[in-house]
This record gives sequence, C-alpha cells and structure tokens, in this order.
Amino acid sequence: MQGRSYDPIEFELFKNALFSIADEMALTIHRTTYSAVLKDNMDYSTAFCDAAGRLVAQGLTLPSHLGSIPEALAAVMRRYGEEMAEGDIFVLNDPFEGGMHLPDIFLFQPIFVNGERVAIAATICHHTDVGGRVPGSNASDSTEIYQEGLRIPPLRLYERGKPNETLHMMIDRNVRVPVKVFGDLRAQLAACTIAERAFKELVARYGVAETRFYMNELLDYAERLTRAALRALPDGEWSFEDHIDDDGVEIGKPIPLRVRVEKRGDRMVVDWTGTSPQVKGAINNTFSYTRSAAYCGIRSILPANIPNNEGYFRAIEVIAPAGTIAHGVLPAACAARGLTGFRMVDTLFGALAMMLPEQVGAAGDGGNLGVSLGGWTKERQPFIYVDFTCSAWGGRPWGDGLDGNSHMFANMASPSIEVTEAEQPIQITEYEFLLDTMGAGQWRGGAPFAREYKFLEAEAVLQVRADRREFLPFGLQGGQPGAPSMNWLLRDGRREKLPSKFCITLKHGDVFRLEVPGGGGWGDPLLRDPALVLRDVRNGLVSVAAARRDHGVVVEGRAVDEAATEWLRAEMRAARTAPLPAVVRERAA
Amino acid sequence: MSWRVSADIGGTFTDLVAIGPQGELRTKKVSSSVGDYGRAIVEGLGQLFVEAGFAAAAVEEVLHATTVASNAILEHKGAKTGLITTQGFRDVLEIRTLRMPRLYDLRWEKPVALVPRHLRLGVRERVLHTGAVETPLDEAGARAAVEALLAEGVEAIAVCLLHSYANPAHERRIGAIIAELAPGLPASLSVDVLPEMKEYERTSTTVINSYIGPVLGRYLGALGQDLRAAGLQGPLLLMQSSGGLMPAAEAARLPVRVVESGPAAGVIGAQALAKRIGLPNAISFDMGGTTAKAGVIENYQVAQAAEYSVGGGIMVGSRLLSGAGYQLKVPSIDLAEVGAGGGSLIRIDAAGAPQVGPESAGADPGPVCYGRGNAQPTVTDANVVLGYLNPRALVGGALPIDAAASRAAIAGKIATPLGLTPEEAAHGAHLIAASNMIRAIKAVSSERGRDPRGFALVAFGGNGPLFAAGMAQALGMRRVVVPPSAGVFSAVGLLASDVEVHLARSWRRATHRLDPAALEEAAAALEAEARARLAAQGFPPERIVVQRAATLRYQGQSFELQVGFAAGDGPAVLAEGFGAEHERTYGHRAGPGEPVEIVALQVVGRGLPDRPRMPDRLAPPAAATPQPARPAYFGRAAGWLDTPVLARAALAAPRQGPAIIEEYDCTCLVPPGATAALDDFGNIIIDLGESSA
Repeated sequence: MQGRSYDPIEFELFKNALFSIADEMALTIHRTTYSAVLKDNMDYSTAFCDAAGRLVAQGLTLPSHLGSIPEALAAVMRRYGEEMAEGDIFVLNDPFEGGMHLPDIFLFQPIFVNGERVAIAATICHHTDVGGRVPGSNASDSTEIYQEGLRIPPLRLYERGKPNETLHMMIDRNVRVPVKVFGDLRAQLAACTIAERAFKELVARYGVAETRFYMNELLDYAERLTRAALRALPDGEWSFEDHIDDDGVEIGKPIPLRVRVEKRGDRMVVDWTGTSPQVKGAINNTFSYTRSAAYCGIRSILPANIPNNEGYFRAIEVIAPAGTIAHGVLPAACAARGLTGFRMVDTLFGALAMMLPEQVGAAGDGGNLGVSLGGWTKERQPFIYVDFTCSAWGGRPWGDGLDGNSHMFANMASPSIEVTEAEQPIQITEYEFLLDTMGAGQWRGGAPFAREYKFLEAEAVLQVRADRREFLPFGLQGGQPGAPSMNWLLRDGRREKLPSKFCITLKHGDVFRLEVPGGGGWGDPLLRDPALVLRDVRNGLVSVAAARRDHGVVVEGRAVDEAATEWLRAEMRAARTAPLPAVVRERAA
Repeated sequence: MSWRVSADIGGTFTDLVAIGPQGELRTKKVSSSVGDYGRAIVEGLGQLFVEAGFAAAAVEEVLHATTVASNAILEHKGAKTGLITTQGFRDVLEIRTLRMPRLYDLRWEKPVALVPRHLRLGVRERVLHTGAVETPLDEAGARAAVEALLAEGVEAIAVCLLHSYANPAHERRIGAIIAELAPGLPASLSVDVLPEMKEYERTSTTVINSYIGPVLGRYLGALGQDLRAAGLQGPLLLMQSSGGLMPAAEAARLPVRVVESGPAAGVIGAQALAKRIGLPNAISFDMGGTTAKAGVIENYQVAQAAEYSVGGGIMVGSRLLSGAGYQLKVPSIDLAEVGAGGGSLIRIDAAGAPQVGPESAGADPGPVCYGRGNAQPTVTDANVVLGYLNPRALVGGALPIDAAASRAAIAGKIATPLGLTPEEAAHGAHLIAASNMIRAIKAVSSERGRDPRGFALVAFGGNGPLFAAGMAQALGMRRVVVPPSAGVFSAVGLLASDVEVHLARSWRRATHRLDPAALEEAAAALEAEARARLAAQGFPPERIVVQRAATLRYQGQSFELQVGFAAGDGPAVLAEGFGAEHERTYGHRAGPGEPVEIVALQVVGRGLPDRPRMPDRLAPPAAATPQPARPAYFGRAAGWLDTPVLARAALAAPRQGPAIIEEYDCTCLVPPGATAALDDFGNIIIDLGESSA
C-alpha cells in the first residue's frame, strides 16, 4: 500500500465522498437533459476514474453500462495518454474503438490538480438520434455499422477549454435533432464540471498523495468484498443455452446464446464460447457490453454493498471470442444490441439458477422491446418517439414474478401517456395487463402488458425490435414458460400480425399494438396456493379455464371449489408420465 | 383565551407544546397511544394543563401534525377503495413507472397497489390533451362501474380519467353518478385533487386521497370530539406537507395534503427561527432515533418539492433510484431523509470496513446500553463511549443506561477487529454516521446548486444537536443554531405556521407566443379561488396574501423549474426568471432564442393571523441542575478532554468548546475550537470560525 498507513475510518469517509460525486454527476444529467430517453429511461451513466483510467466509482444509474467505461477510457488513453491537458474533453461513440453502439456518446474530462492529472470524470448518454437511415438511430435491421449513423472515434470535443468547432459542426449536420443532441451534450459537460469542482474540494482536504492512495484502496476493497462473497458460493461448472428468435434480417434463423459459468474459490469465469457468430442484423454486442451483462448477472447474486468499480471486475473473467454476436468486429451493426445484452443476462441467470436454485428465478420477458417512430410533420419539423418498455419478471423460488417492472439490466421508466400525447403525433389507446400470458407455476411469471400506439401524422417510419416469439421465456422446476411477444397492425379496420422485428411505414390512423411476453413460472403449477390462483382470476389476469387447465384449480363464482380442485389435481398428477423438467421451454398445449 | 397548543405524533413519542401569552413555553413528551393516537394527546394535554397551571378553556387553538395518514398507507390500513379510469388504462396505478429503487436485487418486491385490480374498472370515454372529447362518456357503462364497485362494498371511490386536467366534464359526470347512487360515499376526482398532467402521478395521488380519507376523517372526528369533551373549544388545525396549516374539515376532504405533516413542522419551525434571528439562509437538520432529515431555508423561504413518495423517503445512497413507496404529487417541503439515527447499527462488512446503518435497533430493543437484549452497538452506544451522552441516564434521568455495556460492545465487535481502541472506533462510527447524514444535507444543497457554506445549520431532534457542529465543520459551514426545546422542536414549529391554500393547474403555453392578458386571466382566476377559500375560513381580505408561481422548462426538456411572479408580470418576465433559475440551479442556461414553455400555474394563499403567532422570546422553564464535568473523546489529535457539562443558561456568556449542554430532551455537543453562546432568544449559537476539517 505504497507505504501509507490505512485508516479504516478515513477510508470509509473517503468512499462516501467519492461515490457522492458520481451520484451528483448523475443527478446533474437527470436535471438538465432534454430527452426523455435520459430523463425517464435514465439511459446514461456517470463515473469517476483514477489518473490511469481505472474505474473507481460508478454512479447508480444503468447496470448495462457497468463494464463499458474502462474499455472506452482505454481507447482514449491509447490515443492521447500523456498529451491530455487541462481543459481537454474527449468524446467517442465508435463501437470499434471503445464505444457500445452509436447513440451512446461518451464524454471524458481529465481533472488536473497543480498541473498533475489525478482523476478522470466520465459520462455516457444515450442520445435521441445520431443520424443514419432510421430516426432514433436504433434500427435492428441495419447490416453494417455504416448505415447506423455518425461514428465518432476518440476525439477532443474541447481542447484546453476551447470547443472543437469542426467536430461540433460535423455533429450538427449529421443528426436529426441537433437541439436535443447538443442540449444533452451540455448536460454531460455540466456533470463533468460538477465532478471537477467536487473532486478538487476532496483533494484539498486529503492531498493528492492520500487521494491517490484511497482511490487505489477503493479498488482493492471492492475486490476483497467480491472475493469474500465468491468464496462462500459452491464451486463447480454450470452451462445454459437459450436462443434469440432471429436477427430481423435472416428471418426464422435462431441465434444460439451459450454460456458456461465456472466458479473456483474466489474467482468466476463467464465463458460465451459456442455462442452464435456475429449476425447481419444490428444486434451484435461489443465485448464491453457482454462484460456488462456478466457483471450485472453476477452482481445480483452477491451482497448488495459491493462498490461499482473495477475492483469488483477483477474477480470475474469474461470470455467471448471475437467475431461472435457477443463480441462483434467490423463491420458488425450493433444499434439494437440491447436485445442481445438483455438475453445474455437472462441466459446467465439460467446458469446461475442451476448453481443457486434457491436464489435465482425463471426467465422474464427478455428485456425491453424497442419502439421507434419518426418522420416529418407537415411543417417539415422532425419528430422522433422512442419507447423502450418491458414488464414481466420470471417466477422466483419464493414468490411470483413482478408485474410491470423494469428488467434488471436497464432500470427503465415508462414515459407518461399524457405527456407523449401532448408532444408527439401519437395517441396511446391501451396500456393494460394481458390475460393468461404468465407462465404457470407454484410461483407464476410476471404479467406482461399490451401498449397501443395510434399514429396521427401523415406518414412515419415505425421500427420495432421485439423477440421471444419463438423461444419463450423459460420456466424452471416445472414452471411453464410465459406467452410469446406479439406485434399487430390495425389498419382500416383490419388486424394484421407483424414479425417480431420490422420496419414499416405508418399512415395516419394506423394503430400499432405491442404485446410484451409473459414471465416464466417457477415450480410445479399444481402446488400453487389455490387462493393465489383465485386472486389472479378475480383480478382478470387468469381465466377460469386457465386456472383449471394450468393449475388444476376449479373456480366457481368468487370462490375455489376445494373438493373439485383436490380431485382435479390428483387426476392431473396421476396423468403425468415423466417427472417435471428443470427447464421448461415449450408451453403445454 | 391566550394559550396555543400543538401536538406532534411520532411513532414512539407524542410531543406536546404550549405557548402562553408571555411566551411561556411548556413541553411534554408522552408515549404515543398506537391505535388510538388521540388518547395520548388528550391525556397528555390534561397533564400539561395541570403542570403549566392553565385551564383548557384558555386554549385558543390546537395545531396538529400526525402520522395517522402515512401509517395508513405504509401499513395498508386504508379504506377499501375503488378506482374508475379510462377504458384500457386501469393498470396505470399498478404498472407505475416500471422503475425500481434498487439495482441488482433479485428479491425486490413492488409495493402492493392500494386498489387491487378487480376494484379498478375502465369506462369507455376519451378526452384528448387539447380538452376535446374524442369519445363521449358511456353513461350506462359509468353507472354499471359505480354499481359494481358498490356491490363489492367499497368505502371510497377515486376517479382518474386521461387528460381530465384539460377537460373535467367526464370526471364530474361520474362524480355526480356516484353521488346519486351512493350519497355520502367519499369520492375523489383527480381534477379536484391534482388537476395536472401525468396520469400515473395523478392517479396515485387521487387513489391515496380516497384510501386515507375515511381513516383520517374518523380520526379527526374522534379527536375533535375528545378535545371538545376535554373543554378545548378552539379550532383544530392540521399541518400540511407544504408547511401550511389547514382546518380539520378541509384536511378530511383533501387528506393527501397532510401525509407528511410532522417533518414539515420542523422545517417551518426552523424558518420561523431564522426570520426571528435574521438568518436568511439555513439548513434544517432533524435527527431522531432512526432517521435524519434535512430541509432548506433560502432567503427566508422554505424550499418546496412538487412530489415525493410515502415509504420511499429514505435514500439508498441516491435520490435517483425512485420507485419505492407510494407516489404523491402535492406541494411539500423539500426534505432529504437518510436512515441514520441514534439506533443505527454499527458493524464491519466482509472486507473489513466499518459501516453505520441503515439497519436500526429502533426504540426497542434499542442501543446496547438500554440493556434490552441488543448486542450490536449503535450510534448512541458510540456517543456513550465517547462521553458525549450522560453515562448514567438519558431523557432527563428517566432512562437509565449501562455505559460499560456500550464500551464492551464497541470494543468487542468493532474496535478489536479493526485494531483500534474503543474510543477510536466509537469516534470513527460517529464520523461515519455524520458522513451518511451529510449526504442528506448535500441532497438539498449542493445537489440543488446551493453551496452549503453560505448556510447556517439549525439542528434539532433528540440527536441533531449532538452531530450538528461536526457535520457543519465537515461541510465548511460556520454556524450552528440549536433552538430551545430542540427535542420537541417540530411541535414548536407547528405554532409558527400560517393557514395556507395551495392551488395549481396544468397550463401549457410557449412564452414567446403568449398573450400577456391570457396569462393574467389564468393566474387571476386561480388567485381568486384561493382568496375565496381563505375568506370562507374567516380571513378578511386584508389578512390574505397570495403568491403566484409557474413551472417552466425549455421546450423539449423533460424537467421543470418553479419561478415566482407578481400580478402584471408578463410572459417575458417569466422566461427571464426561468433562465436565471436554470443558471443558478444547473450552472448554465440556453441561448435567448431557445423557446421557453410554461407547464403549470400555481398559487399559494396565506391567511395571516391578526397578531404574531409566536412571541419574540420563548421562555422555557429553568433546566435541571448542572452535572460534573466528564472526559470526552475528540479524535486522535485532541484525545480525551475534560469537558464541562452545562445547562443552557450557562452559555449566557460565550464559552469555548469542548462543552456538553445536557437538557431534558436532547444533548448538544460543542467541539474543541468552537465557541458557543446564547442569543437573545435562548438559542445556542455555535460559532465554528473559519476552520474546515
């Protein structure tokens, strides 16, 4: 420890102060942003790194950004390392040099004290649009990065405090809504300003040497906590496989995701070898995003108090061969890679459920479904509406899956219907839970909902990214899978089924109906407390027929017919020919 | 008729305060009577009257802050409530915002919806954001929905239709149908409770209003009766979450306004104190047994927030993680709360770092020194080891403690594993607790663009004055104020409040295209309504003051800021005020060409008393006999110092720290290097000088 004496009290105080800076940065962006993606979905992150670029403290915002900062900052360090000067601000979004997908723009500000670089403040924001062929820049059916928008390698956005006008103009001319993009870049800059001010106060109190010492100690501390927690878990190897339906380009071609988890002593390996080669559609992950998925999944089985920093990462090795969907290489398209990230978290949870059957539940809805709608009004003003939504968690070994809750990987919020209608040429015509769509089980899967969008302008491009139409949210320990996702177009009084991923032109009065998949169930459905089945029937989430068919519960009026239920359940048990499978992927007929 | 009394009900104690015509201050702390909260008030007041030597008939008004409403929500003991919504949207209440307050938590459970799905019914109708009716109300369907809810035996009905703030006709019609089918059944229409955009917030707020209405109504009815039976004839007024008072009858109609009444009272007390002693900028700091709360007074005004969650108030490190608790959008004081109090547990985590809270030993079993079975040391135990708290008994001798047990617990569980002495470990725990609470202060100051160094810290609550000076030093604040009766200060704050009426409406207009006359007309209409409501409560026009405000944002932004304005101020004045506020809060503002949009208009009407509510000087009864000096520990550098233990009156002449001021309901610590003195009003003023730790 560089010859300094470690004071546990001072350390705890320093840790509080440093994480409070990362959170203060996050609040600053939250308050100053222009776009709903940032404000409501909180699709952004803030962090604090040491002078060497190691992630020391990440603000509590988006889990799916957890592993991305080191990669991005390393790209900046490679190019600018020792040339960094006070007043420089670096920017990038290139997935092949530190970025994740083009809408995520990273900003880094080195912080100098007496001419010496002591730390680097970092922010990532998902921007409303970065150009490319589809409004919102998040089409899932692009096949090359070159279709997806403006690609920014690590560059100086500011050089010694002076704006890089060339770059500013390039951005201005290549995005559909420059006011929003620059408004949000200003929010990122404001967060860096806040960080610099607060950090300098911290250094004034502790001195440079002690600040460096405690930042380093913060990494070691997180590593110690992680390793201590890992030691308490069983050793062994567990594998799991799931599939994405397709990439939206090669329709109907399943995409396998395969993970092997190995835990020995105080370390863990998450290995994606055997996962699909990279695909044509825009759902290829960067390796950093695959790492984020692993960090998020593992973090969920560890104690809550581990700081979000690189020390935690040290105990976890992530393997993903280059050229796979888990580690795309040029010219992979990746705008809609969120889908793959969510599904990798779920696949990892599948393996962790084998490892820790009492701690981890069945599959949820597969993460958020993306709806983007954009075009031009009659007055030639651009409009872009982006809605990422999800709802259902899988049933858990101790309780039902959550109804109407964000996926763990991205703590997203639903935009207000009334605000949407006032600001966009859209009317939401339904937003309600769906009947008989949750996976049955002793603990049922969460309820998904339908969301309907009626389009009110003349013409728009509608781009949707859904999945889990063919490969359903799996159930565990005999629990049933959830119902598939569904997309419908209601046009001129007719109802037309749409693929799970598509891009179409909408006309005035068209209604798009999105149905989220249901969560998978956990445990034998015949063991479900009949009172809970009755509650779901009364609440209109389960039909009388499904209560009978899936749970063997006979509901008469407002009550359970106990005798008939007992009889029916006995009969259903007797009719079983095989023990209940640990993983259930197909819904019973 | 010249005494005024206040009652602040907390989870453990009910605090009672009476102020007499000469500023006599009499206080009483009694155990809360859980289940029948009113009993403790009436009995406690009876004792107070005897001790203070005045009759019930001398009481001109009773002011009240209560946790009855928030408890009904937290314990799910509200009325059986039905909800009627626009067809297709009955799950808005339950889907909430989708967000959860904790990351990486597989065990997260959403708060249960206060109205179960089978009591939420959609009705065919549709109003657009312009107020235009797209689909007329299905009268027969509405009638059927009301009948179905009545058949289920609901005790209250909430109605929240999409865009009703823009056109309430359908909600009003359903209200009429309810009145016709079930005369007397409490019905809450969202347009009456919160006529503002954003369906989830409006639905949640309207439902809470319905849910707690019958409970609060019964409670207030019984309390009113008991008070009258005890000879108290004056009116009963309740504290609103905004810090203003409202008559009991009004609170029964809009119960959603009084949910957070206790914490609000403390901040209002701090504001009154700040005005009295000429302190324009102050941060209030209220620390009890389980939580600590901070609020802000800036330029003598209390900082307000537009919404909060009941049961979600305790920060888990960051205010960003919303989704806990039950969302309420009502005018309320901006409070930040952390789970840190005297009962917070001290432990060592798996990587060997000391942690304090948020887990708490509560009041029972309480700290180790209470001897009620808890073995894990708490913040109070640390303060005992450090010599800050009386080693023999707390609460003026009423609660004997075992100081040796505190020391043994700190030594065994914390100090030895860390390789520290017990006093070093206790001092560390004290500092860590302080650093956790500093986050609450930052949440209302630096995170809101305010530099805490420009503020004084007003500390109260049983534990606030023990930590205040150290926290102020760490934040670079220079002055701490500890008011008289700091341990029951929220009840004192009640006595300083005015009657307030808050009204708001959604009103979206771009400022650069707005006709000034239209703005004036809309604001004047709201103002007239506020005046009418106060007039109905007996305030003559000359004692009514109305303030106007608007929330604004840059067009396209999704976050608003509130800006006050005066009658006659045009849209340009509002836009400029917004730009300045944006710059102050966020450090930057957009160019002058950036369009600014009004989102909503608000007015606050205040009914002023015909004479000052509080005398200038409060005269608490003389305190107990002084104690002998005792050693207290102030960190490695200073070590153990022989520290005098004083009564407040002993600070009539300024004293250098270290010193401990022991009082009936709280203990105040003056660290070495600080100076403490009484001001003209009986407040302890701790001057921390220029130093910053």
